[in-house]
Amino acid sequence: METLVQSTLTAPDSGISFFSLFWQAHIVVKIVMLGLLGASVWCWAIIVDKFMLIGRTRRQMSRFETVFWSGQSLEELYGTLHNRVNHSMAALFVAAMREWKRSHEGARPAIASLQQRIDRVMDVTIQREAERLESRLLILATVGAAAPFIGLFGTVWGIMTAFQAIAASESTNLAVVAPGIAEALFATALGLLAAIPAVIAYNKYSHDVGKAVSRMEGFADEFSAILSRQIDERG
Amino acid sequence: MRAGLIASLAGHAAILLWGIAAFPDAESYSVPAVDSLPVDLVPIEEFTRLRIGEKTAEIREVAAVAPSKTPSEKPTEPDEKPGESNVQQPTPPTPAPTPAPEPTPAPEEVAEPEPEPAPAPAPEPEPAQAAEPVPAAEPAPEPEPQQEAAPAPQPIVTSVAPRSKPAAPRRTPEPPDENFDSTQIAALLNKVEPAKQSGASSQQPASLGSNRGQQDVRMSQSELDALRGQVAQCWSPPVGAVGAEDLKVRVRFNLSRGGDVSGGPEVLNSSSNPAFGAAASSAVRAIMRCQPYSLPDAKYDAWQEVIINFDPREMLGG
Repeated sequence: METLVQSTLTAPDSGISFFSLFWQAHIVVKIVMLGLLGASVWCWAIIVDKFMLIGRTRRQMSRFETVFWSGQSLEELYGTLHNRVNHSMAALFVAAMREWKRSHEGARPAIASLQQRIDRVMDVTIQREAERLESRLLILATVGAAAPFIGLFGTVWGIMTAFQAIAASESTNLAVVAPGIAEALFATALGLLAAIPAVIAYNKYSHDVGKAVSRMEGFADEFSAILSRQIDERG
Repeated sequence: MRAGLIASLAGHAAILLWGIAAFPDAESYSVPAVDSLPVDLVPIEEFTRLRIGEKTAEIREVAAVAPSKTPSEKPTEPDEKPGESNVQQPTPPTPAPTPAPEPTPAPEEVAEPEPEPAPAPAPEPEPAQAAEPVPAAEPAPEPEPQQEAAPAPQPIVTSVAPRSKPAAPRRTPEPPDENFDSTQIAALLNKVEPAKQSGASSQQPASLGSNRGQQDVRMSQSELDALRGQVAQCWSPPVGAVGAEDLKVRVRFNLSRGGDVSGGPEVLNSSSNPAFGAAASSAVRAIMRCQPYSLPDAKYDAWQEVIINFDPREMLGG
């Protein structure tokens, strides 16, 4: 009974609210928490950005395909597109058509290896587009893999300092032990909070980028076949 | 990228604000107050000690407390209201002393006039004064039947709890102290000592106890068991004999302070079983072989003389 009364008297007057958990933590744990919070902010920025980019890319590809297969003249289409900044399939089309046009300019058209050049140009364009879509996805992967460990480091450090404080207070009462451990566990919670969305988003977006790239490759093959037929008919 | 960053920052700020609003502070669990239970470590000796007895006490059946009948038979009497029953009244004793001094001066007055009227016939004051003490003395007998009736409920009470109840009313009629000091309440309260139930203060008649029973030296049951266990280890009971289970041997022996057998083991009982002699000698051998015995030195008076029953059934079974 005596110890019970004593514990209620000496129990630290600390809450478990977010700010109190943060302010009572050790400086290392604070740095870890702030870093994890920054990682979470950065991850979500990437997630939102990629969500919009991939959605936009998919819409652009669909729109371009409907226009491309509508029977419109390729020359006209090139005339409307070649002055803009193009992405994805439009960029592929513009790059291939530009190579076609350049090969037919001048006195002697270089038709002999035009097919290989067009394929190579489209490959490079696909590479560039894929790189644009995939950029910063690696950050998501890194945060998803490392954030739990960083949070765990903060927790271990916090528990170490908590135990030192407990040893100094010479009391094993739960009221003395609990706040320090709660602070420490808050770091792991932040780490998981940053890691879980990052991992999910990375898996989803890498799959989406792969699908978009394969769709562009399919278009490149089809367009290459059309151009190859044109080259053979003219040659 | 900027749009994503702004959206992310806004989302985090919103979640943080929501978290602060939704989890302002951990609610403390409502812990019911736990009453502390006082725990005393009591040696088993307290409960297994033997009570001093008298050999001359007559064997009688100790009446067990019969709790079943009394409440069921007489439930009506406690139901009476305190004012209606003329039986239980704590007040009647107090009026009794007050009328008592009145009649005492009355005989003095009677005695004084008596010599006066002897020479001179004056009959008038005599009946008048004599009549006065008569009504004065009358209130005295009135409380008497009440006082006689007062003990009537006592058997009801004593039949429920025979031992402790009679002691309780004796403390209550203590007159309140005139120089009452409120700071000494604790000292006054502490005067009530717990009822002793040990052998000396027991109100029950003396019973047949152990021969060696003493006030201060007691062998606890566990120590006796230890001694018995020591002996049992050295004892090879007569297993093969006919009717070996009935071969109970009762041996008395004396021990020295070092635990050695000083007084030769003496077989106290006898039997018609032909194997009894072997059993008795095996018991004596066991006692001699197992010495010295390790027993608490402080209680030497208790184990100076030991009687052990060698019961094959018990010792083999245990």
